[in-house]
Amino acid sequence: METVTENPSYKLELTSSPHIHSRWSTQYAMWLVVGALIPSVVSAVLFFGWYQLVIIGFSIGTALGTEALIKYIRKRKITISDGSGVITGLLLALILPPNFSLFGTVIGAVIAIGIGKEVFGGLGYNIFNPALAGRAFLQASFPVAMTTWTIPNFALDATTKATPLASMKFDQIHTSLSPFFWGNIGGSIGETSVLAVIIGGVFLIAIGVVNWRIPVSMILGMILFGGILWFVDPVKNPDPFFHIFAGGFLFGMFFMATDWVTSPITAKGMWIFGMGISLLVVLIRVYGGLPEGVMFSILFMNGFVPLINRFTQPKTFGAVK
Amino acid sequence: MKKQVTLLKEYTKGLWEINPVFKQVLGMCPTLAVTVSAINGIAMALATTFVLVLSNLIISLIRKLIPPQVRIASYIVIIATFVTIADLVMKAQFPELSKALGPFIPLIVVNCLILGRAEAFASKNTPIRALMDSLGNGTGFLIVLFIIGGIREIIGSGTLLGFQIMPQVFEPWLIMILPAGAFLTLGLLMGLANFYVESKKSKERESIIQKYRSSKQVQLTEPGV
Amino acid sequence: MNNTAKMIITLGFIGIVAGGALSFVNSWATPLIAANQKAETERAIFLVQPDASSYEKMTSVNFEAYKVFDKEKNFIGYSLPYEGNGFQGKIRLMVGLKPDLDSILAMEVLDQIETPGLGTKILEEPFKSQFNKLNTSSPIEWVKGAPPTKDNEIQAITGATISSKAVVAIINNGIEALRKAEAKEGSSL
Repeated sequence: METVTENPSYKLELTSSPHIHSRWSTQYAMWLVVGALIPSVVSAVLFFGWYQLVIIGFSIGTALGTEALIKYIRKRKITISDGSGVITGLLLALILPPNFSLFGTVIGAVIAIGIGKEVFGGLGYNIFNPALAGRAFLQASFPVAMTTWTIPNFALDATTKATPLASMKFDQIHTSLSPFFWGNIGGSIGETSVLAVIIGGVFLIAIGVVNWRIPVSMILGMILFGGILWFVDPVKNPDPFFHIFAGGFLFGMFFMATDWVTSPITAKGMWIFGMGISLLVVLIRVYGGLPEGVMFSILFMNGFVPLINRFTQPKTFGAVK
Repeated sequence: MKKQVTLLKEYTKGLWEINPVFKQVLGMCPTLAVTVSAINGIAMALATTFVLVLSNLIISLIRKLIPPQVRIASYIVIIATFVTIADLVMKAQFPELSKALGPFIPLIVVNCLILGRAEAFASKNTPIRALMDSLGNGTGFLIVLFIIGGIREIIGSGTLLGFQIMPQVFEPWLIMILPAGAFLTLGLLMGLANFYVESKKSKERESIIQKYRSSKQVQLTEPGV
Repeated sequence: MNNTAKMIITLGFIGIVAGGALSFVNSWATPLIAANQKAETERAIFLVQPDASSYEKMTSVNFEAYKVFDKEKNFIGYSLPYEGNGFQGKIRLMVGLKPDLDSILAMEVLDQIETPGLGTKILEEPFKSQFNKLNTSSPIEWVKGAPPTKDNEIQAITGATISSKAVVAIINNGIEALRKAEAKEGSSL
């Protein structure tokens, strides 16, 4: 394993060929992502209690265990130290509802690593974001538990509260934007605090671990598509900034849509990818049967990535059309 | 001239060697769509076997009379007749089951397994062989549909053939009785089947190499060394 | 014999035999299938009208509805099958109503393709029995997350609000349609 001690001279840029070599390793970048998620973990503990750390621990532990076991059965090198399993486990835990059952967490982590990643051949071969695949499985399996949102502020009794998106969808109650900033609202463990998510996301963009194009295109896409609907009917439809701050949009945008393996590698492709996710999120939230659509939108666009890459390949230099 | 295999072999090959689901990958529509419970899987497979056996028997009987240009049309008419009979009988005698299987009984007409066996086997072999072949394929289909239906029912509803077998604390994984569960179960089972075949093959290869080595008459070099 | 003639004769022969076999099976199965359907309809009608012993299909309305009678041939209410859109597809209900249409006796779900485990809770007891003795002089309403307080309210299923709302809407629409039809008939007499 290579360790990087000095400042890298090149930022990590995902592009199609030609490539230039840098000293960044996958491991190093993976641990930076883990670091960027720490603010969200802190916000999770602050708003939902210490128990969320247990969920996070179980999720990461199961993810690593599953990966090691599958690699062992397939007689491959055990690669759990590359950090990708830790990220998948951590991300999965952060998009579960607070106080989710540990049994369910373990199932989700096994599915995320086993079916989301290893059946395709491991890191780099997976089509879908593993953490989201695990969550989609849990959502389909335990729809009630997955939409039971415990109230923030250490309430240990089983009081629950609808998410702002659900209130908007089913009861036409609009939530003001200010509580979103700190995260004192109903929602998944790590997605509610806009502040914590932005700290981690901006850090990742600043050091160049994730490409800025996908987040920027998603925000612009949301302003465009959400804005159109808001303009058409401002009473029924929320404004685009509500769409951006509510639910898992920012969290998914910084930490999941930008996943190297499951997002396009060309600049043009990233714009298409980001815009597509935003369009789907708006459509699902406004017209769909579910209040939230970030998970399905990202998974859906993940499926289009090979196609996007194929049609946005830059022309070979000097080639005649 | 092709060497004739025994009649028993014509039957048993359908169970595993050319299993309709795992090896031929035919009849995916009912395999995925109706296997939400073990009983649905069994009923579907029995209806399919009924059509498969009778239509292949008749096709094999009249295989020399049918002009090759209209053979597919003839097969389809024969198959469709038996499917309609099966559909009517189920509606009359087992209305509940017929309701559960819905449009998938009429859809047996376009099940590639039946036309596939008719074209690949019944149209070239004697009626007795066609009978054994279609019975074998039907049994293979039945076993797989029962396994898939059983797995999905146990995990998705906590029951098997309607009896509660999982403890009450077990919360059923609803995804297993949704279409996604069908794809997951089938994919994992097929992967397992392939894994088994591959590991058996590589063991056989090794044992052959070992045999040659121990005889010391042939010096074998490992490929790539 | 030339080939074309052979093709026509073969296909024609197969077609005739197949047609003959099918008509034979069909003539055997048709009465049985009709009996099954009749039994199913009857079962549903009596399910929501426990005191009924006979029924009669209403001819005055352009949708399916049944008047039911007790042992002494007294008119004791309606059994109304009605359908509408659920979360994923059509939901078909059977509603048992008092003769004045102001109160529900019982409600039964005949057909649905709601999400298993969520929307399918409309088939289960805590939800279904809420409709027993419900006052329908004004449209039924639904509440969320709290027990109903008025006699025309039901509590929606957590996580399956859309299916619950659909059931309420179907019943309201059905009663409305029946009431309109009965009012028209009454005025014409």
